[in-house]
Amino acid sequence: MTDTAVRIETSRPRFAKRRPGVVAMLVTALFIAMAAFAPFIAPYGPFDVAYDTDRAVVALSPPGWQNWFGTTNQGMDVFSQFVWGARVALIVGLISALGSVLLGTFVGLVSGYFGGWIDEALMRATDIAFGMPFLPFAMVIISIAEPSLALVILLVIFFLWRTPARVIRAQVLSLKARPFVWAARAAGASDARIIIREILPNVLPLSFLYMAIGVQTGVMLEAALSFLGFGDPNVQSWGIMLNAAFRAGAMRTAWWWVLPPGLALSIFVIAVFMITRAFEDRLNPQLRAI
Amino acid sequence: MTGFARYVARRLALMLFVIWAILTIIFVLFKLLPGDPTAIFVDSNFSVEMIERQRALWGLDDPIPVQYARYLGNMALFDFGESFFQNQTVAAILFEKTRNTALMIVPALVISIVLGALIGAIAGWRRGSLMEKTTVVTALFLHSAPSFFVGILALMVFSYQLGWLPPGGMVSLGGPETLWGIVTSGDYWQHLALPCLVLVSREITGPILLLRGSMLEVKGSDFIDILRAKGLPERQIVTHAARNALLPLVTYIAVMTGLLFQGQVLLEIIFAWPGIGRELVVALNDLDYPVAQAALYVMALVTLALNFLADLVYGVIDPRVTYD
Repeated sequence: MTDTAVRIETSRPRFAKRRPGVVAMLVTALFIAMAAFAPFIAPYGPFDVAYDTDRAVVALSPPGWQNWFGTTNQGMDVFSQFVWGARVALIVGLISALGSVLLGTFVGLVSGYFGGWIDEALMRATDIAFGMPFLPFAMVIISIAEPSLALVILLVIFFLWRTPARVIRAQVLSLKARPFVWAARAAGASDARIIIREILPNVLPLSFLYMAIGVQTGVMLEAALSFLGFGDPNVQSWGIMLNAAFRAGAMRTAWWWVLPPGLALSIFVIAVFMITRAFEDRLNPQLRAI
Repeated sequence: MTGFARYVARRLALMLFVIWAILTIIFVLFKLLPGDPTAIFVDSNFSVEMIERQRALWGLDDPIPVQYARYLGNMALFDFGESFFQNQTVAAILFEKTRNTALMIVPALVISIVLGALIGAIAGWRRGSLMEKTTVVTALFLHSAPSFFVGILALMVFSYQLGWLPPGGMVSLGGPETLWGIVTSGDYWQHLALPCLVLVSREITGPILLLRGSMLEVKGSDFIDILRAKGLPERQIVTHAARNALLPLVTYIAVMTGLLFQGQVLLEIIFAWPGIGRELVVALNDLDYPVAQAALYVMALVTLALNFLADLVYGVIDPRVTYD
């Protein structure tokens, strides 16, 4: 057997292992494209009502040439709403993931590095956050304020920061006891410099992991809240579509209205989850051994 | 004090602190609610004096610290007052709704744990087999799929299209009301089938993946080699391995129950199950604040209690854990 043959033999299973991640990335890219080019893809606006020649609303029409995915009970085009929904999903997912990871990483770094009363205070805050079930609290807070996308994102951030904060703190605790941190300190580096130059680069992979998890969870939570009727009524997200369909009894009468938002949500969330898995696999080779 | 007792005391103190903090947050939230509770409750023909009297009766004129202290006392004693609209105490309403939620999640939990542990253990033992690969892929899909859409799909297929199962509710109208009456009626089990199936489809993935992982770990340990060297049949070796692999599952059960308890609101809405999550949504829509407030508290409390339990159980069952 030649060298090349051996290399091919060993590389094949590795590619097979990565394939779900690659497929998931392609699917996610498709959703990103859909969100970016929504105005060009969607034939109608998210709230446009279709009228027939007699100026009557085309309500609950099944899929056809005019409306690819049919229409809602108010005569809105399901396909257009489905496309615009990708935009909301991505906005919510990305902003809430970024926000929660920034907050979580900051808390984790400060808490782990400085220790003492700062650590104590921040960790008790994390404990409180862990004690607050998301959906119930989010529903109450949205009832108090006005429902809006910004508020939903804020609530998701508030729910998500706690896990990266705890994990990164634990990582920092282990990092700060290592020789390269002593060396930096002996060389006269300030706390800020040690945190930013020595410790942060070592926890960044974890932050990225929680960023991916955050996108997935953020999209799910927005959909769940919207489905329960606590979403922003001024945007058209998949969760809000499902809520409207559910309330109109479309599960009985109009499958074409229920399936697109539900499937889009499921496929997007599963794709991001698979990316997370693939990333986790690279980050933590021990997982691969198991 | 032994290490374990100290650990328990510390956990307990932490839990009480978090409960207090959450109660305070709930108090502030409900003080921020728009409008005066009397505005919802009181008829518009009520005179100003009558409203004033009602406010005084409810203690709304007292200074905030007094109201706060009274609130903490009431919550600690589970004295949640009366519902604005239902002619019952909030405690009675919530007790019934919590029981109903348990009636949905407990059967699902039992099935998920038993079946999931079994499947996971077998998958872990047969590492690399087709069965293992299929199980893992299916579990990952079910784990990450949004369960409320799975619920909607199940409802569309099994209730509306095929007409096999009732589309919602816990028992038919005029059905049994006592716990014993409910669980012994076929009606309840028929209503339970769909939500239970949907819950199991997601919850079972946890035990499967967990058991598979810990089984792989146990499989590589020395005592398995010794058992094999002793000439034990494969079947008995698997039993020995599974017993050790079960340890992490025990803690997971408590955490999983807590998550399920707070996360089942979506399925309760979809299947019109009269549980505590649905009650919270209904109370918020009806502006029935005493019910909403107490429901929020009870849901947080159950989660915290189960997390505490998870910490304790872990300490008891695994002698390798030390507390210093």
